[in-house]
Amino acid sequence: MIPGTFDYFVPRSIPEAIELLSAHRDDVKVLSGGQSLLPLMKMRLSKPGYIVDIGKIPGLDGIVEEGDSLVLGALVTHAQIENSELLQKRCPLLPQTAATIADIQIRNRGTIGGSVAHADPAGDMPAAIIALDAEIKVAGPNGERWVKADDFFLGLLMSVLEPDEIVSAVRVPFTDKDKTAYLKAAPRSSGFAVVGVAVRMTMDSAGICARAALGITGISDKAYRPDRSEEILGGKKLDSKIIAEAAAESTRNIDVIEDINGSSEYRTHLTHVYVQRAIEAALQG
Amino acid sequence: MKKTIRVTVNGRLYEEDVEPRILLSHFLRETIGLTGTHVGCVVGECGACSVLLDDKLIKSCLHFAVQADGCSVTTIEGLAKDGQLSVIQEAFVKHYALQCGYCTPGMVMASHALLRDHPQPTEDEIRKALGGNLCMCTGYVQIVEAVKDAAKGSTHV
Amino acid sequence: MSEFIGSRTRSKEGPRHVTGRGLYTDDFILPGMLQAMILRSPHAHAKILSVDPAQALANPNVIAVITPDDINQSTKPFKPGRYAAGLKRPIDEYAGAVDKVRYVGEPLGAVAARDRGSAEDALELISVEYEPIRPVVDVREAIKPSSATLFEELGSNLAWHGSLQYGDIDGAFKSADRVVKENLKIHRYSSTPLEPFVVIASYDAASKRLTVWVTAQVPEVIYDGLREALGLQDVRVIIPDVGGGFGQKIHLIRKYVVMVALLSMKSGRPVKWVEDRSEHMMAGGHACAQEFEAEAAVKNDGTVLGLRFKEYDDVGGSISTLTIHFTNKLNNLSNTYRTPSIAMEGYAVVTNKCPVIPNRGIGKPGMCYIWERMMDRVAQDLNMSPIDVRRKNLIQPSEMPYRTISGNVYDSGDYPGLLSTLLEKIDYDKLREEQKREREKGRLIGIGIVVGVEPGGRNAARDMAIFPEMKEPPGSGGVNGATIKLEKNGTIALHLGSPNCGQAHETTTAQVAADILGTTPDQISTSIPFDSDLSPWGVAAANSGNNFHLYDIGAIHGAAKKLREKVVKLASHLLNADAAELTIENGVVQVPGSATKKVTFAELGRVAYNNQHLIPDDMEAGLQATYYYTFPHAKPNIVPGPDRLVRAQFTFSAGAHAAIIEVDKATGKVEVLRYLIVGDNGTVINPDVVNGQVYGSAAHGIAVALGEGFIYSPEGQPLTVTYLDYGKCSTAETPKVEVIHRPSPSPFTSLGQKAAGEGAAIPSPAAIASAVEDALTPLGVKITDLPLTPEVVWRLANHNPDSVRRSY
Repeated sequence: MIPGTFDYFVPRSIPEAIELLSAHRDDVKVLSGGQSLLPLMKMRLSKPGYIVDIGKIPGLDGIVEEGDSLVLGALVTHAQIENSELLQKRCPLLPQTAATIADIQIRNRGTIGGSVAHADPAGDMPAAIIALDAEIKVAGPNGERWVKADDFFLGLLMSVLEPDEIVSAVRVPFTDKDKTAYLKAAPRSSGFAVVGVAVRMTMDSAGICARAALGITGISDKAYRPDRSEEILGGKKLDSKIIAEAAAESTRNIDVIEDINGSSEYRTHLTHVYVQRAIEAALQG
Repeated sequence: MKKTIRVTVNGRLYEEDVEPRILLSHFLRETIGLTGTHVGCVVGECGACSVLLDDKLIKSCLHFAVQADGCSVTTIEGLAKDGQLSVIQEAFVKHYALQCGYCTPGMVMASHALLRDHPQPTEDEIRKALGGNLCMCTGYVQIVEAVKDAAKGSTHV
Repeated sequence: MSEFIGSRTRSKEGPRHVTGRGLYTDDFILPGMLQAMILRSPHAHAKILSVDPAQALANPNVIAVITPDDINQSTKPFKPGRYAAGLKRPIDEYAGAVDKVRYVGEPLGAVAARDRGSAEDALELISVEYEPIRPVVDVREAIKPSSATLFEELGSNLAWHGSLQYGDIDGAFKSADRVVKENLKIHRYSSTPLEPFVVIASYDAASKRLTVWVTAQVPEVIYDGLREALGLQDVRVIIPDVGGGFGQKIHLIRKYVVMVALLSMKSGRPVKWVEDRSEHMMAGGHACAQEFEAEAAVKNDGTVLGLRFKEYDDVGGSISTLTIHFTNKLNNLSNTYRTPSIAMEGYAVVTNKCPVIPNRGIGKPGMCYIWERMMDRVAQDLNMSPIDVRRKNLIQPSEMPYRTISGNVYDSGDYPGLLSTLLEKIDYDKLREEQKREREKGRLIGIGIVVGVEPGGRNAARDMAIFPEMKEPPGSGGVNGATIKLEKNGTIALHLGSPNCGQAHETTTAQVAADILGTTPDQISTSIPFDSDLSPWGVAAANSGNNFHLYDIGAIHGAAKKLREKVVKLASHLLNADAAELTIENGVVQVPGSATKKVTFAELGRVAYNNQHLIPDDMEAGLQATYYYTFPHAKPNIVPGPDRLVRAQFTFSAGAHAAIIEVDKATGKVEVLRYLIVGDNGTVINPDVVNGQVYGSAAHGIAVALGEGFIYSPEGQPLTVTYLDYGKCSTAETPKVEVIHRPSPSPFTSLGQKAAGEGAAIPSPAAIASAVEDALTPLGVKITDLPLTPEVVWRLANHNPDSVRRSY
């Protein structure tokens, strides 16, 4: 219940945070919302000697328009995303996804930066930001850089982040013309996804799906993009046959995990069902 | 290495020296002495520890006390005024929305936060909003009835 | 007389809980109190080679450590109690593991430090050397000679085997037209109370007095456990508000009370231990996983002549709860049916998993599951409706009180009436038509109808039915008391013999006392906590909804009547009136019609405690009464003899349940569309309280059937140590349960009241299984095993069985 002891720092700027991370890089964790980190520390699965709390750094909790995209500061909470009128209008997949995360208490504290950095293989946000072709701003001792969502997640709880780097922002496009949905199967609504599917389809005036982007979470060591499914859907007038085909291909080349929430066989099948249902939901919505 | 923090709890400012690893839930229970906030789990999945932090409903067991420095916390003890139950508290009593009482503070805080932000929720919205608060005794029926009753015609709780 | 009995009296417990002023064990602080952590086994099965606390003790914040050697040398093992009634040869079970660990999480030592964090840090510094032994997690594997034995003294992991037989079972099967068989399974689960175990122990060495505060349900278990294990005479057990019990806080908690007491003795300080959720999920106790091989001897008209079953109980890594899931079936052995012969054979197998405990229902959900699945199976076999088959076998109201074949006496009940009302309320025929129409559209809707008795009121001797020669009987029948006092200022104070854990003891007893005494509930308060020094308790003292209705209501009823007599006697003396003509209303005793001949409770109080001159010479001063209740209709068969007939429990509530569900064939998810119960809880003292018990127990039974449960790896590692992994449901996943009351009051209890605690947890798993099978009938699927997780249902609906066994 009680974590191991640690030294606690509250930097007031990103450079200060990076400096602290560099100084303790072998034994340090970043704290933002803490909704993923604290459970690990309380179970003593994680025992960092140093905690850098970035929660008080100003300027990281805004949602702003920048050109043809929206930039969310790393400290923007899931609750802010869920309730943001701007996002609901210009990039609804984010609020659609945020609304399904855990429960209100966790959404009030959990941040998009934290979600992305933690890279939970069943996290909801990673699926959405993959489907949105989002970019993640990484700040480190060598400055800042943007990383494509496709390149960001490496594996189980692993991302491109070095121990002395933090996520400072996430950039997503306007999706005014797109049809989006996020559907997830979870034994309990506050639980992690057994499978979660984010869908974004850009339709043209003839009703053809010009481009489909999907993000799937919960069945592998990380959230991923089902390339083959996107190929099947892209450029087509969608009917139930095409949708079913795209769904059937959504687990191609994926080593589908198994655990107490489902065998590999069941999860594979469930993914196909949820891809189909997510596409249908997006088309209806 | 202890840190000095200043936290307002139920309107009163406290200045305390705490170990960074002390959870906000234990800080409230043991350092401040307000034992109404309960602890029912480890990984923050039961909601018994729910409080308002800067007016937002959070799980105090997923929060270090040091993170609350400069913040304002409202616990279950902060809802009634001079022994007068708030609307939602009264509704819980009237509808028997509790049995053992262990989930009750968290459940009342969650209901209070819901009605504050959504004064006229549907039953579905109530059930979703309370999804982070587990109860082992009631089967939730009377809890939902209490929240519905508290929502009826009241613009604040 | 009944102004408050039966009414929606305002909750007395509510105000303190909604303001955060409940007083639970963890809310107590004692001067100098230390914080403890329990050292637990990471292995499912291992020899303990050595335990070295030196590094832990090096931390100046660590005050005391206890090891297996301390437990072995400073404590005695517990005596096997009624939960291990089948154990013919005593096997030592100490509070902690002494030479061997038999389940992950088994306690073997403890640390007390000045703060909780230091205690947790210290725990990591205790060096333990183990020699792992190959664990067994499967009952059939466990009884193979090649498997390692958990208890060498037993020689086998088949720790108990026994049988009971009532009626002419062989004759029944000989004269049957057909035999209907089924194999069934129920898994490990529990009610996981939100408040975990908490113990505070304070040992006063100079006085040799031990005081404990503990989240316990049955004071006797703690009281006796401490005296046996620690050899102490002077033990005081205090039980404050308890955050949920459900049977979880009866038995295994005694181990921790002893260990924390030992820490207090060793450190010379009070010590508090607060269990973590993960500890509770792995070691707090589980309901037993059971496998049944059942067969019914049936006539072609649907009459069940006999029921015979074998049960295999996976009792986990302890012998102390060997037989309870078997013997508890005696409580509802006949369910609601008049079947004249029943035979049961039980095998209790120890495995390297958490020991089993008497969780809500204890074996009775299993018994009801056997009956109700068999009834559905018989109906299918005979091509009869499941309703008609049940009707054919139900005990009729005209037969009440009804003596069952195993010796129970059903006090009252109208089972056909419950069923009819249920079918009427769900518009059964119309529902079947709707189901047919929806099936044609491809929807898989199912209707499950079950009935179940819900026994109440414990008989402490029941378990002797399997071992009547038991040398140290666990008591018999039930005894519990209550004290009621008219205070000097005229208000009433109650002190109950039982602790509470959420069944509204204070409210309901106040209602009863108010009606009997002629006052109002707001003039009555109940003192908490339970205190073994002060509370009038006996063997039946428990915070258990299953016992409260009989022993605590009976006791308060008796005490209130006794006090009323005293009140009237004193008043008649003061008013110079005939006792027989006095009435009491709103706390005023008066001669009806007279404006002057009246006296208030306050005035009586001032006399009884202050004014000797006015007290009659033949009357004891004060106005207080204590009454110890026993059930007056407990005989015959209160203690089972060689014929094994026994009054397993004393009152019989009942319910007819309807579960209407829909299966999503693509995902296997089951949605409960409607769940209705028509229940008989006898005279209902407070409808909101009883409804709450029914809603809660039904919701749990439904959740158990649909997937919550404990899972182990093949190596005996618990995989479900969080609520999320275990599958506990929130408001968002829990269906709404509806209840209609159709009571048949008991002719034997003080007010006609019957139990309402275990209640709906007994038939609900069977109702869900029945409904899911009904939904999948077009696919030819039979439901025999629980839980019905989405994957399980998906595999059944798509005829795609799993090639690998996944859970243990």
